[in-house]
Amino acid sequence: MKQILVIAEIFAGQIRPITWELAAAARKIKNSPPLKQLPPAIHIIVPADNPTTLSEKIAKQTGIDVIGLQIPELKTYTSEIYIYCLEQLTKKMNPSHILIAHTSQGQDFAPGLALGLDAASIPGVNGIRSDENGLIYSRPAFNNTRNMIVRPTSNRPVVLTLMPGIFKQDGRKGGKPGQVDIRKISFAPAACGKERIQHRRTMRKVCENQALKEAKVIVAAGRGIKGKEDLKAVFNFAQYFPAAAIGASRPLVDMNWIGYQQQIGMTGATVAPKLYIACGISGSSQHLAGMKDAEFVVAINKNPEAPIFRHSDICITADVLEFIQAFLEASG
Amino acid sequence: MKILVCIKQVGNEGEINRFDVHALEEALGLKDQLSARLSKSVTVDVATVGPPEASKIIKRAFGMGADRGYHIVTEDPEYVSSFVTATRLAVVAKKIPYNLILTGIMSTDMMAGQTGPMLATILGLPCATAVIKTSLPTSDNLIEIERELENGFRDCLEIQLPAVLTIQAGINTPRYPCLSKMLAVSQKKIASLTEADLFPEPIEAREIYIGLEQPEKTRSGRELKGSLSDKAEQLFGLLKEKDLI
Ligand SMILES: Cc1cc2nc3c(=O)[nH]c(=O)nc-3n(C[C@H](O)[C@H](O)[C@H](O)COP(=O)(O)OP(=O)(O)OC[C@H]3O[C@@H](n4cnc5c(N)ncnc54)[C@H](O)[C@@H]3O)c2cc1C
Repeated sequence: MKQILVIAEIFAGQIRPITWELAAAARKIKNSPPLKQLPPAIHIIVPADNPTTLSEKIAKQTGIDVIGLQIPELKTYTSEIYIYCLEQLTKKMNPSHILIAHTSQGQDFAPGLALGLDAASIPGVNGIRSDENGLIYSRPAFNNTRNMIVRPTSNRPVVLTLMPGIFKQDGRKGGKPGQVDIRKISFAPAACGKERIQHRRTMRKVCENQALKEAKVIVAAGRGIKGKEDLKAVFNFAQYFPAAAIGASRPLVDMNWIGYQQQIGMTGATVAPKLYIACGISGSSQHLAGMKDAEFVVAINKNPEAPIFRHSDICITADVLEFIQAFLEASG
Repeated sequence: MKILVCIKQVGNEGEINRFDVHALEEALGLKDQLSARLSKSVTVDVATVGPPEASKIIKRAFGMGADRGYHIVTEDPEYVSSFVTATRLAVVAKKIPYNLILTGIMSTDMMAGQTGPMLATILGLPCATAVIKTSLPTSDNLIEIERELENGFRDCLEIQLPAVLTIQAGINTPRYPCLSKMLAVSQKKIASLTEADLFPEPIEAREIYIGLEQPEKTRSGRELKGSLSDKAEQLFGLLKEKDLI
């Protein structure tokens, strides 16, 4: 029987919540019209040096059978250990689909695993549906202005990395827990024999910015702000709102115009203010990941086609500096 | 020490994918430091896969300070499987025993982020993605790097060379190409390799491209109309109504 395999995301000994989204997507694939006739089995794989507790927790929460992949050498994640051990385990399992989180960890090992299994590889999946030939997948492309639709060539397994926040966990409560099966695979590649990637430490550059998390209003600046001096206009705009904080897209932080503490998105802060005003931000999936739960979103962008407008309540097509000035004048 | 940087043309002709520019800068920075401090000889080569016009980005890379350029000339349709690109690049990467191979974390057009890790797998090398800091290699066979995780976390790794690293923006500030350097380089320094010569049998893609579509809307997206001041007044009114001002 074909198998849908989910690789649980474990970070610092904890289950990352995206694991529940992967499980939901696995169910969606299993129950999709092209597979319904001959539904594959689902297994969740939990790689850890000591996977028993984590595996039981996941089996209980999802009701899906779990394979605890015990890797004695695995103290902290490295792509090398993951790719080798997961390949050893999964190549014997006849997988049709392998589901991995589209996170810093998933993106790091999924392509290597896909090649090892001679599989197709579709990264950043944000939609799964079917046409007359089977399942098809959508993923962002062209700076998030388009979705690209692809399918694996026939008879190949496919490795999918799934965008966080898309496949909502299916609120399963109670029910029969899945079975847990522990399998041990040691890291012992024939080619090199020992580890070539050594994990030294995990550190945190800066801690979460509480002010940003708690702000009622966030005025966020993006690359549509052309010079560091022009940020002043955004600061003036923000002062107009009570309890407003300044946010920024990543490029401004990368250019050292503003501190990392202000960065919003996948690799920055996740915020949910009452009002989010995006000033010259294009709306990349990585930025949206940090602000999609805002209550009300206003976007100012000079390009009417900017992706941010698809994710805004109010769209203002304008030069951001000119608009800010007009707003400050209009409000007296 | 020999470094290879894989670069790609995106958008306008002659434009290098912005993450690849950071990868090239990182290579050139390592070269500057290694030759200044340790008087080591370092070469930085670039390789690209793309249409004939893509040779422009190699010239641009020369302008920044790259030593040699390889161009695998292809006439591809709009979608290229990362596996195919990685297989092509591996031909160049195998030519010389490179100590370090760098790519951008992803291209802004395909946004797949797979070419680097797949190239590593094909070459049998270790790989780290989302690299945000590199230290000078302590020897020809060891490099310490930091890779970026979510929520401000970073993993510090020690990796045996040769290795493949994919570079994240924010790691450095790229230098501008120097025009005189760009002009001084003759066409000769670009080694053009044709697809047909390299691969008599076409490489089989593993995914089939179906098409492009507009991403779904997640919010209503009401558009404010009128002059600039009309729009400003409407927004003011709306926010007032919602008690946000
Ligand atoms: C692994 C990874 C993690 C990432 N994490 C994050 C993250 O946490 N947060 C994040 O933000 N990004 C992140 N990024 C980067 C992300 O991919 C985008 O590059 C980034 O979000 C783009 O920022 P931007 O919208 O400000 O710039 P751009 O995409 O360049 O957009 C600028 C926008 O401004 C508009 N504009 C230009 N001039 C004007 C004007 N005069 N007036 C009005 N509008 C104007 C343009 O039309 C355009 O829409 C990450 C990328 C990767 C690969």
